[in-house]
Amino acid sequence: MFLGWTNRARHFERDALPHLPALYRMARQLVGAETADDLVQETFLRAWKYFETFDSATNCRAWLFRILRNVWISRWRKSRLELPLTETGEEQIEPYYDWEDEFLHDEMSAEVERALSELPADYRLTILLADVEELTYQEIARVMECPIGTVMSRLNRGRKMLARLIRTYGEGRGSKPEEFVRRKT
Amino acid sequence: MMDCKNIREILDLYVDGELSPEANVQAEAHLAECVACRTTVARLNRLRQAVRTAVGQHQPTSRLMDRVRQTTISWRRRPTTWVPVAAVVMLIAVMALFAPQIRSAAANELEVAAFHLDDSRATVMEGKLLCRDCQLKDEYGYHAMCPLTGHHGTLQTTNGKIWNILDGEVSEELIHNSKLLGRTVRIHGRCFRRASSIEVDSYEVL
Repeated sequence: MFLGWTNRARHFERDALPHLPALYRMARQLVGAETADDLVQETFLRAWKYFETFDSATNCRAWLFRILRNVWISRWRKSRLELPLTETGEEQIEPYYDWEDEFLHDEMSAEVERALSELPADYRLTILLADVEELTYQEIARVMECPIGTVMSRLNRGRKMLARLIRTYGEGRGSKPEEFVRRKT
Repeated sequence: MMDCKNIREILDLYVDGELSPEANVQAEAHLAECVACRTTVARLNRLRQAVRTAVGQHQPTSRLMDRVRQTTISWRRRPTTWVPVAAVVMLIAVMALFAPQIRSAAANELEVAAFHLDDSRATVMEGKLLCRDCQLKDEYGYHAMCPLTGHHGTLQTTNGKIWNILDGEVSEELIHNSKLLGRTVRIHGRCFRRASSIEVDSYEVL
């Protein structure tokens, strides 16, 4: 799709820029408050550069998240040591048992964010794309460049980890989240 | 009909709206009758809502939004990019007009362009009759011999260009009758740009 400058700017303003708040909140969860602005800016720079390749029939927000993920992987992810996920594309989905007791209360955003930050990054990203951005599994698979089965297993395992971490913080037991993640994966 | 085990395996797909319509109907039917599974669904939805609330509380600053706009759609409009370049080009062009060698070269180029347009078609030219040698004397200090040889009529058009009038029966008066000097005339004839000359078919003194 070749656009003249004016048209390109107009389309970019209409299709891409409105998603800046969504990209920012995702960036905060990936790199923290101090670096989120840089990640967002670099994402939009790259999006602007390659805007000609964007298919306007598809979801622009999903396209932007894919760019953000690529920028994050190439620039920031290596700076944080993280255990590799031992997963395959066809992982077993575990049923939701033991969810009847209440573990969420009002004013738990701090615990939720802390728990999110302790999740393996790919789990965190998948949960945010599904629960906050409400992308379809198909769109998440494109953003994450993985099979849909992997999206499903990451959501399943990630939500269970998240719930247990929140419960742990809520109860103030203080067990180390990293040990939990390591043991569970 | 789904049982508790079945539905708890597909809870993610259910809350994410990814079940097929048929599976969704079956899930709804089970949930309508099972309090424990309904509670689990409610917990899962509360977790999703808690994530949305926690993550959604952060908003980008207007400074970031300005930065992004400036480095994307507004980048080309910034005066720091093309305005100074245009100004320098204009300055060089203006200075070039005052440099004799460059001006001469430019004039030659214009003449070359004019020659390409030369097709000797019939034309009508209007201008003032002047003495060629006296003009050269006034403008360039040429040693005119008019007192001995007489004036030599030539046509100056309104753009300042001087045209030689080619000798002929009709043009003789225009060239050699000094009484016509200073008069405005309209000449019908042919124009030879390359030689800056006009052939006169007829003329009228205005």
